[in-house]
Amino acid sequence: MKKSLSTHTARGRESVAVCLAILCLGLAGCGKPFERIQPGVRVDAGWDDYRLGEFSLALKEFQAASADAIPGSAVHLEALYGEATTWCLRRPDEDLERAARLFHEVIDLAPTNSMAAWSWLALARIKALPVDGEAPALRPQLDAYQEVIRRFPFHAAGEEAFLMQQAAKLGTPDATQAREALAALQEFIKTHSGSPWRCAAYGLIVHCCTILGLDDLRLEAMMQAWKTAEIDPINPVQDLSWTYWQIATIAEFNAGDFATAREYYRKLIAEYPTEQRVFLAKQELKRMDDLEARLRAEGTAP
Amino acid sequence: MNLGMLRFLKNHSALIVVTATFLWSAVAIMTSRHEEIPAKGAIILRLGHWQLEAGVREAFIAMAAKYHELHPDVTIVQDAVPEGTYGQWMTTQLMGGTSPDMIEVGLGGAIPYNVMMGYYSRYFLPMSASINQPNPYNKGTSLEGMPWRATYKDAMRFAYVEELQEYMQIPLSQFGVRIFYNKDLLRRLTGLKVAPHNYREFLEACRKIKSQVDDRGKPYTPIAGSAYHVGMWDGMMSDPLTYGALRRADFNHDGAVGNDELFVGFKTGLIDFSFPPYEAKFRMLRELTDQFQTGFTGLGRDEAVFLFAQQRAVFISTGTWDAGSLYEQARGVFEMGIMDFPVPAGDDPEFGRISEGPVYERPASSFSFVITRTCKHPEAALDFLRFLGSQRGNEELNRIIGWIPAIQGTRVSDMLEPFDPHLEGIFGYMPVTLGGETIIKWQQLYSLYQVNQISYKDMADEFLPFYLEHGVQEWAEMNRNRRRGMARDEQLLAGVRVLAEKAAPGEAVSRWIKYRQMMTVRLMTRDLNAALLQKKLDEGVAAHAAGPYDFSPELIAKVRARLHPRAGEGK
Repeated sequence: MKKSLSTHTARGRESVAVCLAILCLGLAGCGKPFERIQPGVRVDAGWDDYRLGEFSLALKEFQAASADAIPGSAVHLEALYGEATTWCLRRPDEDLERAARLFHEVIDLAPTNSMAAWSWLALARIKALPVDGEAPALRPQLDAYQEVIRRFPFHAAGEEAFLMQQAAKLGTPDATQAREALAALQEFIKTHSGSPWRCAAYGLIVHCCTILGLDDLRLEAMMQAWKTAEIDPINPVQDLSWTYWQIATIAEFNAGDFATAREYYRKLIAEYPTEQRVFLAKQELKRMDDLEARLRAEGTAP
Repeated sequence: MNLGMLRFLKNHSALIVVTATFLWSAVAIMTSRHEEIPAKGAIILRLGHWQLEAGVREAFIAMAAKYHELHPDVTIVQDAVPEGTYGQWMTTQLMGGTSPDMIEVGLGGAIPYNVMMGYYSRYFLPMSASINQPNPYNKGTSLEGMPWRATYKDAMRFAYVEELQEYMQIPLSQFGVRIFYNKDLLRRLTGLKVAPHNYREFLEACRKIKSQVDDRGKPYTPIAGSAYHVGMWDGMMSDPLTYGALRRADFNHDGAVGNDELFVGFKTGLIDFSFPPYEAKFRMLRELTDQFQTGFTGLGRDEAVFLFAQQRAVFISTGTWDAGSLYEQARGVFEMGIMDFPVPAGDDPEFGRISEGPVYERPASSFSFVITRTCKHPEAALDFLRFLGSQRGNEELNRIIGWIPAIQGTRVSDMLEPFDPHLEGIFGYMPVTLGGETIIKWQQLYSLYQVNQISYKDMADEFLPFYLEHGVQEWAEMNRNRRRGMARDEQLLAGVRVLAEKAAPGEAVSRWIKYRQMMTVRLMTRDLNAALLQKKLDEGVAAHAAGPYDFSPELIAKVRARLHPRAGEGK
């Protein structure tokens, strides 16, 4: 009986061991084969998550990429920049201090790298973020943008910083600031003749002229903004109805250049016949005709 | 049957019924699933929508059959889901990864805008590349070779999602609102064969209708109205009278009056409630609502339709979406007509000088479909949408439903001819609310006005001081909200820029252009117009200030100098 029991116990142990072995094999088989994900792939995944608003997942990807990448390598900088951007712009749970620290880390690792240029710009943009809906102080913004312009004057980030700096100056319609911005923008057009930002620069000149009451220059800048507008090769048929409308109304109500106003109202009517402003454009054409007829009659009156 | 068996059946009847029902439903589901199993290599595409109106499902069945003739390997199955649960249904299907291959989007209020933006990027495929290519199903038509987008009456303007800088939807129909009327009743009560288009004649017809009673002595109602319908009459008739406000308050000359601009107009004394077009709007609204049945504000759409179908009212306003259903209800009972909204004549003593033209109707296409990312055959789904969005396909689809096609050069059924949109004209400009408190106050007073419990003057007298006082805080809050939105734009733009940086050379140019365009509009210039308007507000009331569309003396001098250069020199 005793022997029989011990035999049973031994058999039981064997069975348990076999089961455990099968279970282990099974679990090993079920597990994914170990595969190291490249940091570059993780950075791309991080940005995908970021764009979908999955900020916590994005942070995990960027942090993992940062940990795996060779310090100071391009991928490492990208991972740090991605993490910093996420901390900066995620809502809720943003951490601007942490973001700034990470942007500075990118700058310290590679001060002349493109990532450093975008990091400087991001640091300036932090200063431009409204606090509880109130406009931030102007001077720190202008200084921060100036830092980017000084370090990267011809980099895309530097050009963007320059335009944001001028736009910040125009945030309060003050004649002194507007004159300063106008001069800077005119200089930018001269020195950055190949910049893709020229259209935006002309747009800001239009705004300076609105504040300063420089009507003829405003019309000229509006025309230049139209001429320098970029055409998207994937979407070449752009809706210009708004541009035509702006040129026509500036010409009619500010510059008093009725010939130009008529030309652009007519372009709007011909090219966008179902646009909602067509009726108003026709009314304005008639109003200009009526005014000119009245003034002509005055001129011929004895 | 023995007693035991009977007792067993009696004691277990509920269980037996439940079991039988379960077995029946299981067999039914298995049978239908079996029928849906495609043959080897065949494709089944599912299409989800909320259009339960007469004709829509039939139209999809017919179009699917036609498409199947052209492509025997493709079968289309539709899921028609009631409007009330569509939002929840779509959300659960998308999140569960079980959504149809094509799904209708754009149901107002079903899903909040910001959530929908998330759905667009997460669950739907962008269409920009496809819609700039010609639609192969337009071969042999007047639209052959044209980019698909350009073949739409509205150039697919509303299919573009600016946040994503992509065209995301394929629209299939256009819609409009008109007046439907009972021709027989109109003839019997007024002697008119056709409903009058002139406003005064229309009111006269309504007066005649109201003055008569039926066999049981009950008076007839000229217009079947409800809380649902009153907005249509206001939007198509009385509100456009306020168009003239443009010349007083369109400070940025964009051809529209925003609620911020109107507030500045009121604060600076350029406009007020005594502005004749504003008074005219409310006079006309009163004249119209006087023709509705009593207590219309407490009634819903169905009550008004019932009154019309019961031949107790002559006129009812509704849209193309209801045309088929109304015709069905009238069939064999009375002859129904469709008419445009009446307009005041140029010599109308009250409204002639104020009404500057016909009402503008924006040609917008909707009934839009997207392709989901879970679709296993996106090229086949796109091809089916191309088929429905072609000149011939779109005409046929809309002919069956009884709606207006979205594609150029398509024929509209005779019934829908009065729905031809007015592509030139005026629209309303009276956005007199800024935020929470002014909205509530205005709604309260406006409701009282609608039911004739308050006069326009009393309404204006009570609202104006409230608007001018509370509007200041609400104006400031509006500006704060605009700034608060900046972080979200920054968030979006950071993602767009990285996408541009990482794009392949061919695509990068386009991506960078989109980035710069978005950057300029959303961040660089977002506060500039608001700042100019704030300056105007801070300057306060300016006596004899010129309106934004007035020719200033300086401008007239410039024009004079251009016309008479020598006279200018002499001066």
